[in-house]
Amino acid sequence: MNCYLCERDMPLQANWRSLFLNDLEEVICSRCRSSFERLEKGCRICGGLGTDICSDCSKWETTAYAGVIDSGKSLFRYNPAMKEYLHQYKFLKDIVLAEVFAPVLREELRSQKAVIVPIPMNENKLKERTFPQVDRLLDAASLPYVYYLGKNEVRLGGKSKADRIASEDVFWWNGKPVPEKVLLFDDLYTTGSTMRMAAKALKAEGVKEITILALIRA
Amino acid sequence: MKDIEEFLTGRVWLRNFTPFPKEQIDQAILNGKISISRGITDELQCARCLEKSPQKIISFFCSACVGICYYCRHCIRMGRVSSCTELITWSSPSTITPQSHSFHWNGNLTPLQERASQEVQKSLFQQNDHLVYAVCGAGKTELLFPPIFAALQKGQRVCVAAPRTDVVLELSPRLRAVFPDTIIHSLYGNSPEESGFASLVIATTHQLYRFQNAFDVMIVDEADAFPYSYDLALKNAVIKARKKDAPIVYVSATPSDQLQKQVPEISQIFNRFHGHPLPVPEFRSLWGYDKAFAKGKIPKKLIAWVDEKIEKEEPFLVFFPTIEMIEQAIPLLQERHPEIAAVHSKDPDRKEKVMKLRQRQIPGVLTSTILERGITIPNVQVAVVGADQPVFNAAALIQIAGRAGRSADYPDGEVVFFHNGIVRQMDKAKQLIISYNGGSRR
Repeated sequence: MNCYLCERDMPLQANWRSLFLNDLEEVICSRCRSSFERLEKGCRICGGLGTDICSDCSKWETTAYAGVIDSGKSLFRYNPAMKEYLHQYKFLKDIVLAEVFAPVLREELRSQKAVIVPIPMNENKLKERTFPQVDRLLDAASLPYVYYLGKNEVRLGGKSKADRIASEDVFWWNGKPVPEKVLLFDDLYTTGSTMRMAAKALKAEGVKEITILALIRA
Repeated sequence: MKDIEEFLTGRVWLRNFTPFPKEQIDQAILNGKISISRGITDELQCARCLEKSPQKIISFFCSACVGICYYCRHCIRMGRVSSCTELITWSSPSTITPQSHSFHWNGNLTPLQERASQEVQKSLFQQNDHLVYAVCGAGKTELLFPPIFAALQKGQRVCVAAPRTDVVLELSPRLRAVFPDTIIHSLYGNSPEESGFASLVIATTHQLYRFQNAFDVMIVDEADAFPYSYDLALKNAVIKARKKDAPIVYVSATPSDQLQKQVPEISQIFNRFHGHPLPVPEFRSLWGYDKAFAKGKIPKKLIAWVDEKIEKEEPFLVFFPTIEMIEQAIPLLQERHPEIAAVHSKDPDRKEKVMKLRQRQIPGVLTSTILERGITIPNVQVAVVGADQPVFNAAALIQIAGRAGRSADYPDGEVVFFHNGIVRQMDKAKQLIISYNGGSRR
């Protein structure tokens, strides 16, 4: 097969592990794989740069959103290769690219005890995009997930950070009884407002512990 | 409405991505001026690029139409085509008034160019396909000027298609200078938008996906070049873009045997326009070059070659078989001269780097096969590292050798094939070049 990203022919990488352990198939070549940068130990809430807790998160901890996220991490840096990937996946809508990070996500979340909750999309936005990009990442990794939240239409772009924080009730609870432990999953963590608002909405309904995972930390 | 007609005539475009207000497009559809077709046909073929392989036509659950849709990966960079997206084209009789054209060129054709030029014109008149088989530096572009002008004057729409953006960028200023009164559009990935109805379109073969039943004359430059020769979709795009039975002129220095058999009329030119012979490649062994680069060393013979070019201040191109090897070699060769640059197909600064080499601002460029054709740099010296690798077939090697000695001021130039053992394709390339220098093979 050809690499999903650079279209170069890839040698088949069959080995005993892939035969017997039913591992997910690599859909990109090793060269493209190495162009993405994994984030190592960082902030204990968002995985961003910093020891213990980053400056962004410490600011959040002085707001009404303090303590809504118990722990978390992000997997990759938002480097040029990742920018290009996200552009092709989200904006060119190349849905098969959901499979690119399936092996990594599966490895990360397969033994997860908390219930995985993807950050939902607003209905109109979903129609426009034609596919829920966060859910598809989890689907590709064969990971189960549950919705407890819906999202109202908000135009985040152009608003200042203060406005974003002020826009309460972006997420609403869908009425389903919530579990004790939740892992909130999103594709891209930028300012943290999306995760904070979603976490707050869930905690208001009685979730005890919330961990977050973002594929990418901008 | 006039600007919509000029834009959409002969084009297939995504309904939701035109440069016109939605209401105007909707109105034109209501009036029957524009016709609509589905992006992916019932046979699961992309209606724009004609792709139909299951690896490229992907099914998904579509949240827009709430059902199973298919989308095409092959031409996705031009905006995604899916089952529930619509393609539009202008479908009512043309109201575009013919333009007047002028021909500004004071160069001369050599007798061989002149003959080929007339043969092409005759084929176009008789609506026959034609192949111009001419060596690198024969002056292929110039000999096309008179036939293009004749077609334009007849009110025909002409397309010059080339497989690579580099070639389109090289051809455009020349054709624009020669036909100053003609509306010419140059189309490639992210090219700037141009207005009016173009009688002459210079486009990458990829951009032809966006045309249908458009051209009275198709000229396919570098007809053998990757990706055109390997990509059936692009071949079909050429057929789709021309009007029914419109003649195709193929232009190539290294046509495949198949092309030579398939095209009824062939003009051959095996002499360069300046009359000097083609530089014949020299084979030089470079044992274990791949292991050397991997270990962070440059083989001595290559150092010597590069140092000599830097010393003599002659611009040079070094071709490599893989991007990985370029990446291994570039820091090592930059120790010989810090301004040496590297380019490959994904490099956004390729144009600028080639320009700098041409203007002697940098001593040399390391490149993948991306620069094998379409570029002219006076007095350039050429080396191929790993000429034994399969990516360098005879056609590629002939094209690469053809970069040297193109200008009349510097008709010579060194061409060295560094190898790890001579292979058949290298021999074939050298033999063909020698035979061209001996005159016609007929």
